Amino acid sequence: MLELIFAVLLIAAFATLFIKSGRIAAIISLIASAMPLIAVMDWANDFGIKAFSFGVENSMDFSIAGITMHLSITSFAWFFAVMVFSLLPPIFLFSYSFFEKNNGFFPFMLFLITAVFGILLASDFLTLFFFWELMAASSFILVYISRDKKAIMSYLAFSVLSAVLILVGIALLYSQSGTLIFSDIVLNADKVTVSAIILMVAGFAVKSALMPLHAWAPFVYSKADEPFVAFLSGGLSKVGYYGMFFMLFALPGAKILHQYFNSGVATYLLAVIGAISAFIGTLLAFMEDDLRKLLAYSSIAQLGYIAVGFGIGSSLAMAGALFQAFNHAFFKSVLFLAAGAVAYRTGKWKISELGGVGYKMPFTFMAALFAIFALAAIPITSGFAAKWLLYEAAVSNKYIFITPIMLIAGVGAFLYSFRILYGVFLGENRHDDIKEAPLPMIAGMFLLVLPLIIFLIFPGYMLDMMHSALVDAGIGTISHTNYVIRTGTASYNTLAVVIGMMVVMIPAFLIYVLRKQKKVDFKDNFLAGEPYEFYGYISMHAANNFYKPIEDVIMPYLRKGAISFYTALYNAMGRVSDASRKIYTGLSQDYTIYIIIFFFIIVGWLIW
Amino acid sequence: MGLFDGDIMKYEDWNKISRIASRKSLWMVHFCTGCGAIELPPVMTSRYDMERFGMGPMATPRQADVLLITGYLTVKTLKRVVNVYEQMQSPKYVISFGSCPINGGMYWDSYNTVKRLDRYLPVDVYVGGCMPRPEGVMNAFLELMKLIDEGKARGWEKYQKYYEQYKRNQKMAFNFEREKDEGA
Amino acid sequence: MVVEKIAVIALYTTIAMFVGILFMGVGRKIVARVHNRVGPPVYQGFIDIAKLLTKKTNISHGWIYDLALLFSMTGIMLTILFLPIGGVKLLSMEGDAFLVLYLLAIPALGFALGAGASGNPNAAIGVMRALVMMLSYELPFVITLIALMIYYDTSSIAQIVEMQHAKWAIMIPPFVLAAAVADMALQGMLMEAPFDIPTAPHEIASGPMAEFGGKHLGALMIYKAGTIVAYTTLFVDLFLGGGVVMHDGSVLAYLANFAVWFILIFLVFTLSLLINTSFPRFRIEQAFKFYWKYEALLAFISLIWVYLMVIS
Repeated sequence: MLELIFAVLLIAAFATLFIKSGRIAAIISLIASAMPLIAVMDWANDFGIKAFSFGVENSMDFSIAGITMHLSITSFAWFFAVMVFSLLPPIFLFSYSFFEKNNGFFPFMLFLITAVFGILLASDFLTLFFFWELMAASSFILVYISRDKKAIMSYLAFSVLSAVLILVGIALLYSQSGTLIFSDIVLNADKVTVSAIILMVAGFAVKSALMPLHAWAPFVYSKADEPFVAFLSGGLSKVGYYGMFFMLFALPGAKILHQYFNSGVATYLLAVIGAISAFIGTLLAFMEDDLRKLLAYSSIAQLGYIAVGFGIGSSLAMAGALFQAFNHAFFKSVLFLAAGAVAYRTGKWKISELGGVGYKMPFTFMAALFAIFALAAIPITSGFAAKWLLYEAAVSNKYIFITPIMLIAGVGAFLYSFRILYGVFLGENRHDDIKEAPLPMIAGMFLLVLPLIIFLIFPGYMLDMMHSALVDAGIGTISHTNYVIRTGTASYNTLAVVIGMMVVMIPAFLIYVLRKQKKVDFKDNFLAGEPYEFYGYISMHAANNFYKPIEDVIMPYLRKGAISFYTALYNAMGRVSDASRKIYTGLSQDYTIYIIIFFFIIVGWLIW
Repeated sequence: MGLFDGDIMKYEDWNKISRIASRKSLWMVHFCTGCGAIELPPVMTSRYDMERFGMGPMATPRQADVLLITGYLTVKTLKRVVNVYEQMQSPKYVISFGSCPINGGMYWDSYNTVKRLDRYLPVDVYVGGCMPRPEGVMNAFLELMKLIDEGKARGWEKYQKYYEQYKRNQKMAFNFEREKDEGA
Repeated sequence: MVVEKIAVIALYTTIAMFVGILFMGVGRKIVARVHNRVGPPVYQGFIDIAKLLTKKTNISHGWIYDLALLFSMTGIMLTILFLPIGGVKLLSMEGDAFLVLYLLAIPALGFALGAGASGNPNAAIGVMRALVMMLSYELPFVITLIALMIYYDTSSIAQIVEMQHAKWAIMIPPFVLAAAVADMALQGMLMEAPFDIPTAPHEIASGPMAEFGGKHLGALMIYKAGTIVAYTTLFVDLFLGGGVVMHDGSVLAYLANFAVWFILIFLVFTLSLLINTSFPRFRIEQAFKFYWKYEALLAFISLIWVYLMVIS
């Protein structure tokens, strides 16, 4: 059965290579992408959640050219699989309308899914690396479709970096333990193992765009096709975090790091990096004018929270991190898809050029609004529960540096949320000639919004889902019922919030209903007495340079960013290579001298 | 919908409550084009203190109840005044300052001054004088409150009822100006 | 039991809203006395709201514009439910300080949405200023909040209030500093001068409220009244023991605690008004620098002080 799923995915991938129509390819992909989801649903029974059973076996050995690949599902991989694979059918539903022609998105997306399925199932490092590379290659082609040089080059460079880091890490681990199968590996707290763990965590962190390694994200997110970016930000970044989770808690690397450093300094550093990611990402996000770049920086910020949770590593923090990962997968996909839908209708990306789209596309706006509530952690969606767990974890561990940074990044999220809401969807009604997005697009977006609302009222379901993952990783879970989460120091009752909100809405609703109101045109607006159309056209969209005052204050401090660091690194490497080329003088006597110097060094070293 | 619009509670009773509330809380938007604007600061500040009666300046016509025409109006400013007046929410009242909005005052023979504001907007209270002193302005506010209390300040209803006529008058004034512009 | 609890909650919320509307009138009276004026009657807030809600015509700029009305009133009343008032835990055991921080964002974001939907450029600029102000004052405020949480080892406001029975937080040396910082943050939260930048009536025509009139403005005034109670109560709960003076469950204790709570929030509000009347307005970047440079530094000093106290 498991072979069948791989086979269906690969056959669909090869079939869609030869289909010109985007519609047919989308339908094929939709059906194919449902296959891994069925398997994932089926495995829910193994991890304490009742679901339908289709009899999909949960492990498989696969031999090719004398090398055996071990595939089997673990509880933590299953949790990540749930969030990654439930994104896919809605995204393909969206792309049914998005792609008129099949430009290569569908086949390589299916290869990508195969690779992700393999990564999550892999139970030895060789399989993991094989599928990791398949993922890198297929996602690279998906980036390549954009034909944007900066995006392609940065994605390629960072993919290679990630692959190299992981490969070196695997090699070092193999040299220490002599096996590649996860269950057989026994780790000691020595220098080689520790460096292997750090290298591999860094390698996985590239995919999840953690702060110093995030430089590719703004370029790629802002140029590639929207459905792919939705999956890249929502799904693939979680695969990176799956790798980190696996290295730190399943292997378990965090314990080794604790033993080696005799303190939690390494994981604390990860938490600090995550918090700074969240903070700087937020600051960069609200100054951005390109909608997709804004969302990219927001992704970096929101993913930073997950790293904070991994760094703190307590059961509260881990629950918060996994919850945040789940929420982020959904709300960020919705936001990127909504951006895609807006661009599909208007063809514009700049926030200052958009405006008033929400009046013409109310359903797209609704979906984006809920996603933004989740992003800003307003307690109208499940976004809040995740952040709440993280804040609780940080405070109860008395992290006086991380907590304020995280909280202020949370406030900063309101700023860029409003930038999206006002600049794109509200404000001046500039687009009279556009229509609502096609039905499949809206259906796709609303399917993705649904979990955010379900887990608002029942965060307990989510905690049940991650229960076996946390127990298997030796972290332990937190006490909860279906709608109450309890920590040592506080509790959060979602039902109280929701019911309270409905009750106190009654007086407001009475005022709203009992007084008549008349809808007026947008142009009937207070402009100090000036009629709107008196002097021809007056632009009323105040979205250009929206946060200029604060930008002027902050920007001088942020000018030396990561991108300028990488540019400087690139230039420095160019100069070093230039300099090293000068030793090839072309004169034989020079080469003789090199050999003699080398000989003396060797001899001197031997004597000494 | 029912409650406030006469189904459950008697329309007259409700009107009375509404009148009492709006009498004691007149928010004004002052259209400071004429010389009367300078009479307002003493009225607002500690000498006469209009806030005693719940009055206060507001930033936009949407929030305000009273429109103050503080002096003469040219045809050009009349356009803005009409725009502001129409953006205000009913019940709304107009107070005109000085003799210019009554009969043109010292601009009686000016070519582009509005001679009778009453032709274009329903005025509830006139304050005579050139300019009225702050006592006069205060007196006008109290007079307006009395009128509201008695249900006589019905300028806004008049404007709704004779909307066509008011519009026609306004259009005539605006057209006159436009012809002049084209001629010049 | 449940009915009783619901009755208490309804009673306290209604009273809290009434107190807020009363405070708006009282505030105008105090400002008028500072200006050497007579000022409006103390019940002016009720008259204003009654007038706005009985306006004959109301305009709407679409359903998102109406969200401001619904969200602003709902959010602020919900926040009050999660704050202990005079030691009475309404729903405050069901959530904590982080929840309160984010519940306070519901009305703010709803209001911002409504202002954005009104399409007025002044409203957008006002919202921008309000959000930047939020980013500014939250940093020092959040740091002081964390200092309290670390000291009392809980994040629940109800428990922080309970633990101050013996000694109010403001009597502990580091929290004097923290309370001073939080009071300046409160000034920004209440949008009083020198931080009344978002609604500056003479610059940007009252900012976000530029297009609101009639019932919408009435609802926003109720929201404004609610914010006065919510923020001052938050300050009193965090630093002044929530106004709890008697700990037995008798009726007298309820009344006494309620009276003390009322006096304390009145004092906090009066202090903020006195600062308001004596200062001109900051520019937005000056306010940002003020909060992130000096306030945040002082808050961080108090946080480290508390941290060292707790560690040792």
